[in-house]
Amino acid sequence: MSQSSLPLEPAKAPGGAMSLLGAIGRSTAAMLVLSGVGFLVLWQVISMNVPPVILPAPADVIAAFIALTASGELVGATLATIWPFAIGLVLGFIIGTVMGLLLGIFRPAARVLDPYIFVGWSIPNIAWLPLFIAWFGVGNLTLVIFVFISAVFPQLLTVEAGAKEADSFLVEVARSLGGTKREILYNVVLPSSLPYIIAGLRIAVGRALVGIIVGQLLIVATGIGYMFQFYGETLSLAKYFAPLIVIAVLAILLNRGVNWAERFFIPWKTRAFT
Amino acid sequence: MRELDFANVRKSYASPAGDRLLALDDFTLTVDSGRFVTVVGPSGCGKTTLLRMAAGLVPPDPGGAIRLDGEPLVVPSPKMSMVFQGIGLMPWKSIFDNVALGLKLQAHRPKLTEEERERIAATLALVGLTGFERYYPHQLSGGMQQRVGLARALVRQPEILLMDEPFGALDAQTRTVLQDELLTLWGRIKSTVLFITHDLDEAIYLSDRVVIMSRRPGRIKQVLDVSLPRPRFSYDARAEPEFARLRQIAWQSIKEEL
Repeated sequence: MSQSSLPLEPAKAPGGAMSLLGAIGRSTAAMLVLSGVGFLVLWQVISMNVPPVILPAPADVIAAFIALTASGELVGATLATIWPFAIGLVLGFIIGTVMGLLLGIFRPAARVLDPYIFVGWSIPNIAWLPLFIAWFGVGNLTLVIFVFISAVFPQLLTVEAGAKEADSFLVEVARSLGGTKREILYNVVLPSSLPYIIAGLRIAVGRALVGIIVGQLLIVATGIGYMFQFYGETLSLAKYFAPLIVIAVLAILLNRGVNWAERFFIPWKTRAFT
Repeated sequence: MRELDFANVRKSYASPAGDRLLALDDFTLTVDSGRFVTVVGPSGCGKTTLLRMAAGLVPPDPGGAIRLDGEPLVVPSPKMSMVFQGIGLMPWKSIFDNVALGLKLQAHRPKLTEEERERIAATLALVGLTGFERYYPHQLSGGMQQRVGLARALVRQPEILLMDEPFGALDAQTRTVLQDELLTLWGRIKSTVLFITHDLDEAIYLSDRVVIMSRRPGRIKQVLDVSLPRPRFSYDARAEPEFARLRQIAWQSIKEEL
């Protein structure tokens, strides 16, 4: 009896390959692994066809990464980068959020301060640097302030926009229940601004990352930023990729953190697309 | 005593043209303690303005006064609760926390006492929402959401309940069910109710007294006393000849204002 004589059995031979592809398509993890492998293969193929000074092979990059880690250079640079980054970002986040909420509520004060904030936001960060160096010298203080400036403006502007848009009806409901200005801030304005606070954080993280790298390049000549400069200028491209990987991993982790915060703090939000 | 008194209340707004637009004119009415009074009128007659003034959310124009037990009312009173057509639940708060907000903003305390937690649970049971404490508003139907709005108002044990077309956004069946539930609840708490609607049947069915407004600027046109015996959900009150008679009078009166 051949297989085709079993009419109730679904056709297996063509369906097998198709359903395997289908299963991979449905599994996010499998898709990620597949795209990662594809990326490495593409990189390998290109690197085999250009000089190593243009693009080193993945294996050389990994070897350089291991060597730089073993020597302690990469770890030291990463630590030197993370601390000023974290302090500047956290300060920018807190001050930007608090000022954004207050300016969102106290509109007369905002109308006076908004032009200054907008100018502060519009001027490219890098233009502040000579001024900061003149004021605060060449050191980690200037670096922290530079990261802070990079993070605080997007945070402030996003949160202010959110607080300003707080639902006037919900504010009226809270007033009818007897809410004071402070209670309304805490019970209505702050929670309704949470999506904006998180959105601001997402932008602030990106800006602060740029800030720390540029700052290290131009101010202190240490850390990840300086590694880019040094290995870039000496055309040691295999080593140049090591700090790049660190920054990529850091960016991914931070983004994951923001995603987690979003789910944790905004569980009521319904999403149109998942 | 928990009497709500309006004396020569007027309210005008700045119009886009720059002059004043009179929304409500010379409104004088006493809502007696423990009575259910409904204001009906065409849209734009200042019904909602009247209730927002009664809630202390906006002041009347100078010359008029609103008094609660003889005291001028200028800010929202802890003795009052308001129920809104748009309900106004906080989307980020669970059902329990939404009801708790009614108490927290009344007592100005961020933490609940054990007695208050029990009172919230009892109020949720009263409106039939036991088991939904941890849900968020968007997970509930419109009718259930308005039950939460009602619970948030009732948990404050208000002496005066202000209701601004609370069932206006609901479908006809849900509205009928909630009208009966409201009458049952009111039978227990016996607070003074000032209710706003544009639905004549709803007004007559619920109220001791129906106040019919003219079109803008809103003035009191006619006051009808409803003597149908209570509880009205215990028999088919809407089928009574007296109901039909009142409805006919009210409709004649309001038709001239449309």
